[in-house]
Amino acid sequence: MVKGNILAVDDEQIILRSCERILSPEGYKVDTATSAREGLDLLGKNNYDLIITDIKMPEMDGIEFMRQVRTKNPDINIVVITGYPSQESIKEALSLRIIDYLPKPFSPIHLLEVAGHAMELKKKGAAPEPHVEDYTDEVAAKLDAIIAKYKNKPGSLIPVLQESQELVGYLPRVVQRHIAKNLKIPVSEVHGVVSFYSFFTMKPKGKHNVRVCLGTACYVKGAEEIIKKLSGGLKVEVGGITADKSFSLETVRCLGACGLAPVVVVDKDTHGSVNPVKAMDLLKEYE
Amino acid sequence: MERYRASVMLCGGTGCIAGNSLKVRNALVEELKNRELENEINVVMTGCNGFCAQGPVMTVYPEDIFYEKVSVNDIPVIVEEHFIKGRPVERLMYKEPLKKSTIPLMKDIPFFSLQVLRALRNKGLVDPEKIEEYIARDGYQAAAKALTEMTSEQIINEIKKSGLRGRGGAGFPTGMKWELCHKVKGEQKYILCNGDEGDPGAFMDRSIMEADPHVVLEGMIIGAKAIGASKGYIYVRAEYPLAVHRLQLAIQQAKENGLLGENILGTGFNLDIEIYQGAGAFVCGEETALMRSLEGKRGMPIPRPPFPAQKGLWGKPSVLNNVETFANIPQIIINGAEWYKSLGTEKSTGTKVFALSGAINNIGLIEVPMGIPLRKIIYDIGGGIPKGRKFKAVQLGGPSGGCIPEHLLDTPVTYEDIVQTGAIVGSGGMVVMNDLNCMVSVAKFFLEFTTDESCGKCPPCRIGTTVMLDLLTNITEGRGKEEDMEILQDIAKDIISTSLCGLGQTAPNPVLTTIKYFRDEYESHIKDKWCKTGVCKDLCTFYIDEEKCKACGVCKRVCPQNAISGEKKVPHRIKQELCIQCRSCYEACKFDSVNIGPVALREILKEDLPAQEILRNMHAAALAGKEE
Amino acid sequence: MPRLTVDDLKRIKEEYKAAFTLREGGQRAKITVHMGTCGIAAGARKIMEAIIDEINKNNIKDVIVTTSGCAGLCSKEPMATVEIINEAPVKYVLLNEEKIRKIFKEHVIEGKAAEEYALAVGSETAY
Repeated sequence: MVKGNILAVDDEQIILRSCERILSPEGYKVDTATSAREGLDLLGKNNYDLIITDIKMPEMDGIEFMRQVRTKNPDINIVVITGYPSQESIKEALSLRIIDYLPKPFSPIHLLEVAGHAMELKKKGAAPEPHVEDYTDEVAAKLDAIIAKYKNKPGSLIPVLQESQELVGYLPRVVQRHIAKNLKIPVSEVHGVVSFYSFFTMKPKGKHNVRVCLGTACYVKGAEEIIKKLSGGLKVEVGGITADKSFSLETVRCLGACGLAPVVVVDKDTHGSVNPVKAMDLLKEYE
Repeated sequence: MERYRASVMLCGGTGCIAGNSLKVRNALVEELKNRELENEINVVMTGCNGFCAQGPVMTVYPEDIFYEKVSVNDIPVIVEEHFIKGRPVERLMYKEPLKKSTIPLMKDIPFFSLQVLRALRNKGLVDPEKIEEYIARDGYQAAAKALTEMTSEQIINEIKKSGLRGRGGAGFPTGMKWELCHKVKGEQKYILCNGDEGDPGAFMDRSIMEADPHVVLEGMIIGAKAIGASKGYIYVRAEYPLAVHRLQLAIQQAKENGLLGENILGTGFNLDIEIYQGAGAFVCGEETALMRSLEGKRGMPIPRPPFPAQKGLWGKPSVLNNVETFANIPQIIINGAEWYKSLGTEKSTGTKVFALSGAINNIGLIEVPMGIPLRKIIYDIGGGIPKGRKFKAVQLGGPSGGCIPEHLLDTPVTYEDIVQTGAIVGSGGMVVMNDLNCMVSVAKFFLEFTTDESCGKCPPCRIGTTVMLDLLTNITEGRGKEEDMEILQDIAKDIISTSLCGLGQTAPNPVLTTIKYFRDEYESHIKDKWCKTGVCKDLCTFYIDEEKCKACGVCKRVCPQNAISGEKKVPHRIKQELCIQCRSCYEACKFDSVNIGPVALREILKEDLPAQEILRNMHAAALAGKEE
Repeated sequence: MPRLTVDDLKRIKEEYKAAFTLREGGQRAKITVHMGTCGIAAGARKIMEAIIDEINKNNIKDVIVTTSGCAGLCSKEPMATVEIINEAPVKYVLLNEEKIRKIFKEHVIEGKAAEEYALAVGSETAY
């Protein structure tokens, strides 16, 4: 299995070749580009989990390259390699949200560590993002309206996030940044709240959202079986979304409808006394 | 003596005579004569039979049919229909006002008769979206009394005397909490209501907020007057949209009617209440965490003191009470502390609402006097365990509570007695488990919950629960070691003594109580690799006792894997290579012929022999081994 | 809406108590559908729709339909209570559309409780 797709961009062939030599045997698929232009071309054609780029390059430099990457892939992981780190260039690179920095010359172990770290970030779901179509100008304007409503009220972050999630469906990082900027609080604080409460999600939801209650009464009556059946039937993990985006699967801590246990909620419909063996039948009417 | 075909006993008591029974008798005799029945039907005047209100009354023997309110005009019909055609006249037959049908009376059904409704007194009676209906049931009378006739001190004293303890779980005396806050000086104080019912298996607060939202507001008004607050928040889980909707409506109606806002009921008292939707974090049930959450931050607890009554929301003196606590307040103010104390025990007064669920016939919301034995709740109110299964344990207090076994079912439900068992009364979730539940898995379920919900502030809770969960996972998946139980208990002790808030201090309870009461289950998981309930898939083998099997085919039909072979009249057999241990056959079999054996059996049963034969051979071999 | 005083509260209470107990409200019957989360999840809305449909179809004017919260016995939802004037209320359980239509015909129109679907008659003791 391929561990991840990596794009390496550097005007020095030797760097590119050593990237390939170090990363390929470890299970990464590495594409190389000797210029920023070439890199952008490849980015247009393929999906990458990580970009490793030099800063000093002729024609278009790494900073400009990253800027252009960010317009299309605001959340792709980027690592910078450079032999001459200047305050200025690092500052710029940081503002473009690089995840790490590799000084030349780098050791194979260091490179592998950085790549491994990037894949981990991606797996955690922190990075895959955002579907640009979910953050249009129109959405941004609506977010501003929500924020304006609460702006001078203390303790308004949670209601703002709730309404924003209602609007967008989830809270991708770009939305969190937008909220942070306009409420004039650090992004870390916003993210801290988003990641703390189970109600908030950073992953998009399917056309139909399936929530399995994991309250004690439901557990006692076979909720775990239901999750297994649905997860197997939809071919999706808990917290995930099906390939065709039609269903997402979540668990929820007690809906308080214990009399109907086990309970599954699809969108806004509550289904009670669900037979675990037939759990998939529930979804038929939503297809 | 002449023999009559039938006799009519007509009441000649004063009441019936006043109702013209003499005329009725004359008309009857006359009519019988006309029809030439005078020798067949005997008419007798009797003394008063006590049913004067229904008079004139008469009884026809031998059928024993009782007619009431008979008039002269009815006589031809009775004679024609009853005496000639043999069809009693239903229209005139006696109807017992309530027993006219076979429908039982509410008071004859233990589910209803053993309950005492105080916090739930409006349950199912008022339209929660109409303030007038609440007012019609004495609503806001208590608030009026508190605002016009009582001082803050008097209110606090009454609540203190009543012995009411916080219904959210910890059971702290409500009156003392109020007094503490009342005594703190402050311009701005807050009255807060905790509707963040996070215990899995609990829905008391949801029901109250949905069915009777005004009682929560009224309780808060009284609390606000007691402590001197002018602003209140109700913190409700976002998972309860209906409760949020109804509370919002209730607040709006109360404001329109001058029952909230400025100058309430013209008394000059002001209180504004807002709803705040929580975002799902169990730890927010802890009061300092809930206040952080109201401030829009991560809901993490902070050390006390200072207590919220001194420094709470936004650093101001605040009182937080649970929904059910507030629902009790108006009744105490109206009826007095003595009335409230008349139920319950000395230290646990009044009633408690429980959400009864799980493997029990009557699932629902119940309110019972404190001190009632668990057995009464489960067998009388709950109606016992369905489908003839056996009771195994009742879980009280959710992830902070514990599992109480059969032999402790006579424990009275009070804060003190339940703690003795290792569980807690908690907020009121009561989940019944039967013999199909594996107690190790139940402990694991709760640990998964607390591991997930630990806010992460204190390492003993964050890391300790994770380590405990790993050990439990090992045990349920067949990697358990003998020393695991001791390690679990050691870690539990450390987590309990070193965590900051209630979540960590109680998180190990489900594990500790299951080890205490169901040690044999842990041992059979660890030593024999055998989950006798068939819940832990890696620790069981399903096989059919072919001597008991009636070859009815039920198990074959429910098997999702088509793993069961056998025709009609040919005992069925489970193909071990195909079996996924889903337990469907075990639950479906009406003859108890599906057995659950240790996992080691699986390989052996792959030989295509009947299970008994193999087991017998093994047994014989073992015996032979012993003899040698 | 006027702002209430303590006296208003008492007046409203008396007024609505009258309406509440049917007698002086000029109504003959009251049907309460229990609509808490459990009830709704179990299908209480359909029950409500069926009742309203029956009322419209039969052009009935003297029956109040109302909702209330959870009746407490979640495993028997959906539930409804039918109260005919001067009679004890009857609680019906485990309803579906067909059953409630039958109950409507037998109990509300013809005045005879539909025994087969009834759980209990009378009210709970509340203190």
